[in-house]
Amino acid sequence: MGLIQRMVEEAGIPTISMGNEPDRMARIKPPRVLQVKFARGSMFGEPGNVSRQRRILLDALDALQTMTEPGEIRELPYQWKRPD
Amino acid sequence: MPIDLEKFKPEYKKWVAESLPDYRAGKMTEIVKKYPLIVSDGVPWTPYKGQPSVQTFAMVTSGGLYLKNSQPPFDTVSIHGDPSIREIPKTVRQEEIGIAHAHYDHSLAEQDINIIFPIHRLIELEKERIIGRLTDTHYSFSYVNDVVPLVTQTVPKLISWLKADGVDALLLVPV
Repeated sequence: MGLIQRMVEEAGIPTISMGNEPDRMARIKPPRVLQVKFARGSMFGEPGNVSRQRRILLDALDALQTMTEPGEIRELPYQWKRPD
Repeated sequence: MPIDLEKFKPEYKKWVAESLPDYRAGKMTEIVKKYPLIVSDGVPWTPYKGQPSVQTFAMVTSGGLYLKNSQPPFDTVSIHGDPSIREIPKTVRQEEIGIAHAHYDHSLAEQDINIIFPIHRLIELEKERIIGRLTDTHYSFSYVNDVVPLVTQTVPKLISWLKADGVDALLLVPV
């Protein structure tokens, strides 16, 4: 996904992505990332949490408007542990 | 190009030969560690300008989403993955979405697709005029290891669609 993001950004369209693996993001270097503490397969947290999904989208809009450094990774504080 | 394809191709061939037994045995952690992720230097950057309330947004996920009744699922068997793309309409309903991706647990996304593809939340933001316009079509990729057809064919196609649709900013949600 990082490669896709890099190509779209390079083509002149600003991008924002979600991420949960800092090591991998450090290797792929996407232009703008919101880092979440959620497990694989649930970048917006638990199913049915409408206000959290909305909050993270608003965070993404804010990140687009306020990030100025290429490669910035902004950590979001929200927590939820996927049940085993 | 986001990667040096000429450097990638021989490394990838070697990786496939070495990783196939582990791939077939489902030892994904092992093979991911060895994957030849050859990324170009620097970070591409297009400054974001303007206000979301008057702009056009689109979304891409790599969750392996497809329309059960009208699109083929992604290949979930090949070690190369599947470099193709599916167009997901804005009007999509949860029950119309299939997920073809063998390398994450999608049971929760099957309950609420918005955790990997928050289309219903984006529609709400559009109705509230927090974002100006949400495109009629959004996109899904699935699992891809052979990035050559991805970066030479599929992503250029995606970029041309986004530009034709007047997209001002793109949200990408990996799994």
